[in-house]
Formats: sequence, structure tokens, C-alpha cells
Amino acid sequence: MIETRNLCFSYLNSDGKQKSENPQLNRVNLKISAGEFVLVCGPTGSGKSTFLKTLNGLAPSFTGGVITGELLIDGRNLIGSEPYEFSHLVGYVNQQPEGAFVADIVLDEIVYGAEQLAVNKEKIAKDVDRLSKLMGLDMLLDKPVATLSGGQQQRVAIAAALIAGAKVLLLDEPTSALDLQGASEVLNLLRQLSQEEGVTVLLAEHRISRVIGVVDSVIVVHGDGSVTQGKPAEQFNDSRFAPPIIELGQKLGWKPLAITNQEANSLWRQAPAKYSEKLVNPPGELALKTSALEVRFGSVIAVQPTELNLYGNQITALMGENGSGKTSLCWAIQGSGPRYVGTVNTLSGDPKELSVQDRIGVVTMVPQRASDLLFLHSLADELQESDIFAKVPSGTTATLFQKLAGRIDTSTHPRDLSAGQQLALVLSLQLVKNAPVLILDEPTRGLDYSAKRALAAQLNALRSSDRCVLLATHDIEFVAMVADRVLVLKEGQIVADTIPVNVLGAGCELASQISEITNEPGLFTIEQVTN
Amino acid sequence: MLVVWVCREDAPWSKSIKFYLLLGSIVVTLRVIFRIVFNLADSKTDAFLNLPSISINLGFGNSFHLLGTVSNLSIQAALVDGCRLAAIILSIGMANSLANPRKLLRATPGALYEIATAISIAINLAPQIISSLKQVRRARGLRGHSKGTKSLTGIVIPVLEDAIEQSMQLAASMSARGFGRKGKRTRFQMLVARLSTFLTLTLLTVGIALLLFSPTDQFIYLAVILSGLVFAGITLKVSSTKSTRTNFIVQRWQLADAVVIVTGGLILFSAFTGVLA
Amino acid sequence: MNLLIARISVSIAGLASLLIFTWPLFITVEEQNEALLAQTVFIILMPLVLILVLIEFATGDISSKHLALLGVLIALNSVIRLLGAGTAGIETAFFLIILGAFVFGSGFGFILGASSILVSALITGGIGPWLPFQMMGAALVGLGAGLIPQTKTAWLQKLLLITYAIFSSFTYGALMTMWNWPYLAGTGTQLSYVAGDNITANLSRFIQYEVVTGGLVWDLGRAITTSVLLLLTGSALIATLKRAATRAGVGREL
Repeated sequence: MIETRNLCFSYLNSDGKQKSENPQLNRVNLKISAGEFVLVCGPTGSGKSTFLKTLNGLAPSFTGGVITGELLIDGRNLIGSEPYEFSHLVGYVNQQPEGAFVADIVLDEIVYGAEQLAVNKEKIAKDVDRLSKLMGLDMLLDKPVATLSGGQQQRVAIAAALIAGAKVLLLDEPTSALDLQGASEVLNLLRQLSQEEGVTVLLAEHRISRVIGVVDSVIVVHGDGSVTQGKPAEQFNDSRFAPPIIELGQKLGWKPLAITNQEANSLWRQAPAKYSEKLVNPPGELALKTSALEVRFGSVIAVQPTELNLYGNQITALMGENGSGKTSLCWAIQGSGPRYVGTVNTLSGDPKELSVQDRIGVVTMVPQRASDLLFLHSLADELQESDIFAKVPSGTTATLFQKLAGRIDTSTHPRDLSAGQQLALVLSLQLVKNAPVLILDEPTRGLDYSAKRALAAQLNALRSSDRCVLLATHDIEFVAMVADRVLVLKEGQIVADTIPVNVLGAGCELASQISEITNEPGLFTIEQVTN
Repeated sequence: MLVVWVCREDAPWSKSIKFYLLLGSIVVTLRVIFRIVFNLADSKTDAFLNLPSISINLGFGNSFHLLGTVSNLSIQAALVDGCRLAAIILSIGMANSLANPRKLLRATPGALYEIATAISIAINLAPQIISSLKQVRRARGLRGHSKGTKSLTGIVIPVLEDAIEQSMQLAASMSARGFGRKGKRTRFQMLVARLSTFLTLTLLTVGIALLLFSPTDQFIYLAVILSGLVFAGITLKVSSTKSTRTNFIVQRWQLADAVVIVTGGLILFSAFTGVLA
Repeated sequence: MNLLIARISVSIAGLASLLIFTWPLFITVEEQNEALLAQTVFIILMPLVLILVLIEFATGDISSKHLALLGVLIALNSVIRLLGAGTAGIETAFFLIILGAFVFGSGFGFILGASSILVSALITGGIGPWLPFQMMGAALVGLGAGLIPQTKTAWLQKLLLITYAIFSSFTYGALMTMWNWPYLAGTGTQLSYVAGDNITANLSRFIQYEVVTGGLVWDLGRAITTSVLLLLTGSALIATLKRAATRAGVGREL
């Protein structure tokens, strides 16, 4: 179905004129058959998105750059063609941020592609009917898109991509903004499309653990320009982005590696390894205490009256689905967020009562969209501005940043940094104020496993200097890596406040992949397994 | 009589009609007030009001007087004029109360399709920008506030960057779905379209100039303008041939729409007949 | 050849629109009815001219990226207008139009000007017979802004932009006041236009009207707001837009 021969792609230099010396994709030779379900993965910034975009003409037409070689889709060489020449063959779905819809009603959005290609009305009507039934959207056709859930919106996007009869579907991190339920809706749909409808699906993802057991093959974009393809079990020698199930297999020397939870489970039961208990750090000083803290938006109670004690020397994870109130609670604690009633006590008083400048010396926070804090034009400017704000000697922030992210050219525009680098930048901006309490809201979005491990290490370093870290996230694997204490929030109420193993262990609703595989009490992370 | 038309309370008008009625009445009032204040003294006809006259000299032009004797005829003329104007405003208002902007966009001629698309993107993005603004303002507090200009750019830049990011994603999604397909329009066809536009504009301009400058017959400039309109129609038609799209969603005119259009048309008509009488 | 015709068409349209705006100065016929006919005819003609020029600009190939950027700026403008609506006299619409036109060219600026006004009106519900005139006015502002030369020296650039801002604020104000002059003042008052009178006499009456109705105050407010906004945020916004343009690979094609 898809074949590339010696495909090469390079971006242009920042002056926009010349080809960059390092091609993003170099001599790529791949064959993908019809109906295959392919996972495209690789470290952050390696070029997964770029690779997908070459397959539908968005690269170079949209991204700039130079492309050479041959690209055959369904037998036709489409190298260098404009995106609209691909659109009847290849559909495309990206993260689809809210509001980035062309139309306001579901039906309009879906038929947009067919309208653009001048398909006749009867055919459109038939296709809409078929697709909407397939994706469970037939009851929603006349609703405004903005009122749908994240998972539903993505299903609309998929229908819209396929309406013109495309036989190939490209998806670029479609589930990164979705919670567990939305993500699994989408993944199930993709599996169905591939197996029952014969659509060739290419999915670029970071959250590999759930997907790896379902796909037919894996394409790895290595970042140095090379791209390899093969069976799932064979592709993960580079542990930078391997999911827990692969890591476990590698650690225990399984050959071949298991890729589904069932396979791993049977291999484990044949030869269970020894494991130790996961130690958690004991609570240090009481850093923060909330009393009857409640948050309301109009008549909706986002956070029920909460009594909460947070301690230093601990990383506390706050888990819950989208909309459970995590973010509202974090902002209320930080002091800038609305509070209906209640107080927060820290060693320096209630953050809400303090001035903005003083507040950031008591509780600092990294918000969900870290880039909201960046507004200057170069890395150097941001670092400098930070020193001025915090009234620290010039260069403090820069040193901190280097520790977190390594050496980066300081003339880079902050928005050109990768997600991990941006997070590191905002972290260093916030850490330079040395507040005893640090709150992070969903920091792992867009990070691959190695970046997550780096973040985990940084948080541990902070914790060990007796800081209190509150981490709001629905990323189970990250919590397993890092947390000493887990709070679970459901509809604004804390329903669990305990050590991680009781929330992530075997048999729990939020079980980690290791728990699911091994089903051993007390075992939920890789580090516990001893060889 | 016009006043009667305007003040008629028919059928269920929506809230915005009240706005336009209000506007219309404001216009009428303003007209009258203007007449009274900047009155052209005319002692020949019956006096309506007798007010003292105040002389003002602004240093250039003629000095003019405020107030003074206001004649009946004056007031009448102001009322009539005002009502005519109010009628026009009202009929536009009625059209507005019907129109859902998105439906309007769907109905634009093919030639303006791209611009209509840009506008519908804008309408979609606007609520997102507002919530983005709130988010960024909140986040700014986390960093501490900068002094002076930086605080403004500190809000505007992230919002702009984010909006651009989103819109680029949207543009990619649109392109990937086939947007941008050029019809089989030859260079000749484009030339024809351009020439047609050029002709239309020239005709219209000439018509306008005639209307303004030369004190000749009504008919000449009317003829010119009409032919200009005809050419405009041709232009629209020609420009639309490059459209290669299906319009799947068809607007259905509803009864309510029809009623309002008819009434609006009647009001306009009476305004015009008042003019020509 | 195509481009030449296009440019000429746009210039003619510009002339036409100026005439439509300033007709009270020029009208020579003395009949009351003729003047009223002119008024109503022009209400139809202005949108027509506007549409024709928009078609002219849209005849070139606009990519989805241009449209997306247009959409962003239009949306941003509408939001700003929505938020600034409470504060009287603050006309914030222009500074984005000027900036957008400056970065992306006259054609972009024209479309941006017209569309911004349209969308703000749609959102705030203020549609009336003045709308096509406001649209044309703002569109002309955008058109002109695209002609501002780009210089390397920062302060010179700012100066040019601010000069244009002041100039366009007052011109726009004058044009719009000229438009509503016959409507509000009608005929037969001391400050009304007199059909058939010579230009200077009418002009002086017009200026008196402007002064008395406080039109100049509005214009001044607009000029100041736009200039201040340009000063404060201009360079940062221009840099951001230029960067977006480079990354998206769009230039000043329009």
C-alpha cells in the first residue's frame, strides 16, 4: 500500500534559505501493506511527526524543507505533490486542539473533506451514514462539536479524515490530550478500522504501553535520520522509549519479548522473578495544610471541602480523570485560584493573602501549558528575565537550566524547544525562587519515557532537599516511578490517600502495566524486580 | 405614514429588533434636535418654537447661530427624514435578527469562499482565544509580574503564539482534506475575470461621478450604474467557476424568514416611494 | 499583465469608495430627492465595490496557511474589541490591522480590515447600514499599512508605524463622520451640507460639524490608543508574526 524508496527529507535552516546539514529522514526504505496497523515511535523530537507528514504531502508543503526519493501510495508516485492530491488516499488526524475545527456542527465537519473533493451528494450521504454508524456518531450528527467529549471529538476527526474514501489513516499523537477512557475509545476504533475495514493505520504515539500489543508492526524513527521497521518485539533495543512491558522482558531475558499483557503474564508465571518492596520516603516537616478548602464555579462544586496535609521530603501524586478537579485544587492551594471557602496554611501564611511576589516564594507551580509563561524571543532573554524577577545573581537560572536540560544554544526561540526542554525551562524559572512547595500540573504530556525518567530524577533531587512536591497527573506509569503518596480525586472529593501500591498495584482500578502483567501483590514498578 | 409603518408591532420580533427600533428612534430624535439647535432661521413660515439665538464663531468658515426661531416645516422635514432613515436601519436590523452568521457564510458566492473560510475559522477561534487569555493571565501570576510593557507582551505573545499554533494545525487538517484544489481555470479565464472586475468598477465609478458632478438627466447615470451592476453579476459568476466543491448542506428557508423578508421589503419599498414621490 | 489590471482595478475601486464617502462635498444637483436617491444608492454600491475588491484579492491563490493566519488575526481583533467595548472611545481594532498588513502585505491588510470589522459586528450584534462603510474604511487602512516601508532601524520603524496610525485614525474618522453627516444632520440646518454649494463652503461646514459633535475627540482617542498599543507591543508582535510567516513558509504574496 505504501512504499518509500530512498526517501530523504531535510528542513531548511533558520534563515529559511538553505537545506539543513542534518536530514531529518535519510534514505528511508519501507513497505507497508494494506490493512496493517503500524505504530510509529521514537524519542521526542526525532521526527515521528515529520515522517507522518511526508506521507500525506504536508511535508514539505506545510513544513518547509526539501524532499527527494520515491513515495508510492497505492501504486502512484506522489513525491512532491500538494496535500490535496493525497487527500482522497490518505487521511490525517493530529492532536486536534479544541477549537481547531472548520465547522461548528458535527455533520458539517465530517463532510468537509468530501465537499472539498467535489464528491457527489448521494455518495456523501451514504458515506456519512456508514462512517457515523461505524464510529458511534450517528446520534451526534447535529450537535455542535464543542459540546462533545475529547474522545468523541477525535472520533469525529477520524470520520472527517476518512470521508473521502481514504484507505490510509495517519494519526499524530491523537490521544495525548485525552484521558484513559477517551484514549481507549480511539484505540479500539483504530483496531476495528484496521481489522474490519482494511484501513492502513499509522499511529505515532508516546503512550506505547497500551498500543504495542495491538499493532501489527512498529516503525522506529531514530532521530539520526534512520528509520527501521519490524515486528513489535524486535524494535526496542534502544531503551530510551521502551514501555514497561518491554523493559521487563529485557530485564528478565525473555526471548522473544512479550508484547501483550497476556503473553507477558504467562511468561512471568512460568518463571516469576524475585522482587523487593517499594520503599517510600517518610513524610518530613508539615509544609502545607488546607482547611475546608472548597472551589465552586457557579453552582458546580469543583472541589469538595478538603482537609489535606502535605509534607516535605515526599512526592505526592494527585490522580483523577479529566474534570475531577485536580487543576482547580492545585490553583486553589497556590492561592491565585478561586476559593469558595477555606484556608491554606504554610509556614509563611496563607498564599492567597500574600502579594504575588511573596506568593511565588512560598508555593511555585508549573501550569498545564508550560509555554504560557514564556514570552520572550530567545532562551537567553528568558533566563535573564528570570534572574531579574527572582532577584538572584545573574546566571543562576541558566546554571539550573543546564543541569536539567543540558547545553542548548541560548539563541533558540523558546517555542522551538521540544516539550521536554520547555518543561525544563519553566521548571528552572520556577525553582530559582526556592519555594518549599512545588506543584506540577500534568507535566508529562508530550514526553517520551527517557524524558520522563529525567523528570523523575529531578523531582527526586528536589524532594531530597526537603521540598514538598505535589504532582497532578493521570499518567499512571509516571506516578509509579516517582510517588511516595497517592491521592485519588473523584468528582472533587479525595477518595483515597495512601501509599502508591494500594492504588497502582495488582487488581486496582489504576493498576500499572507491571501490576497487570505480574499480578503479584506489592509489585508495580520495574525497579522492584531483582535479577 | 412612514411613522406608522415603523411603529407597527407585528409578529414575534426578537430582542435585537428592539435594539434597532431604539436606534431608529434615536436617529429621529437626533435629527430633530439637530434641526432645533443648528436651525436655519427662516422667518417666513410659521414658528414652532421661539428660542433665543446664540452666535458662535469658530474662527474659520462662517459663523453660525445656535437655536433661534424654529419653523414648523423644519421640524416636519426632520421627522420625515429621520423616519426614512429609521426605516432603512430597521429593515437591515430585521435581516440581522434572522441571520445566523454561519448560514450566511455558507451562502456566500464561490468567489468569496476563501474569505468566508477565514471568517469561519475566526469565529471558531475566538472563544478559544478568550479562554487562552484567562489561562495565560493566571499563569503570569506564577512567574511574578514584570514591569511596564513586558506585562502586556507577557500576555499577548503567549496567546498569539498559541492561537497561531492552533490555526496552523487547523490549516494542516484542512489541507489534508483537500482544501486548495484549484479548478481547471486557465490563464485566459483568470484574465477574463480580472477584466470583468475592472470593467464593473470603471462603470460604477463613472456612474457615481456622473451622479455627483454633472447635473444631467437621471437616466444617464442610472443606466450606467445599472450596466455596472450587470457586469458585477457577470464578474461574480465568472469568479465562481473556479469552485470545485460540492455544497452538501443546503439552507432551507423557513416560514419565519419569509415573513420577515417580506415585511422588511415592504418597509424599504415605502421608504423609497417616499423618496421618489 | 494580470497584475497590472488588478492594480488598476484596485485603484479605481479606491477612487470609487472615496467618492462614495465624500459625496456631500461634491454633489451638485439641487433637488432634495436626487440627493436622497444618491444616499440610498450608495448604501448598495459600497458593499458592491467592497465585494469586488475582495474578489480581486481572492482571485490569487490563497493558501490555507494564509487563511489560518487571517483567521487568527481576525479572531484576536474581535476578542480585543469585545473586551475593550466597555471603555468608551477606545478603538483598538486598528493596531492589529496595521501590524498584520505591515507583515503580510496590502492585500492581506485589506481583507483583514474588512473581515475584522465584519466579525466584530457579527459577534457584538452591531450590524447596520454603516457596516459596509466601516468595513471599507478599515480595509483601506489595511491597504495603506501594507505600503509602509520596512526599515532596519527600530526607532524609525516605530516612527513610521505611529505616523501611519495617527494619519489613518484621523482619516478614518473623517470619512466615517462624512458618511453620517447627511444622515444625522440632514439638510436645512446650519451645519448640513448644501447640495450644489462649492467645496470649501461645504468643507468648512463639515469641520464645524466635526468639532461640535466631538468627532475629533474620538479620532484623537483612536489615534492615541493605536499609537500606544503599537509602541508597547509592536515589535514583539511583528517578530512573532514574522516568525510564524517563516515557519509556515508564507510571504507577502497577496
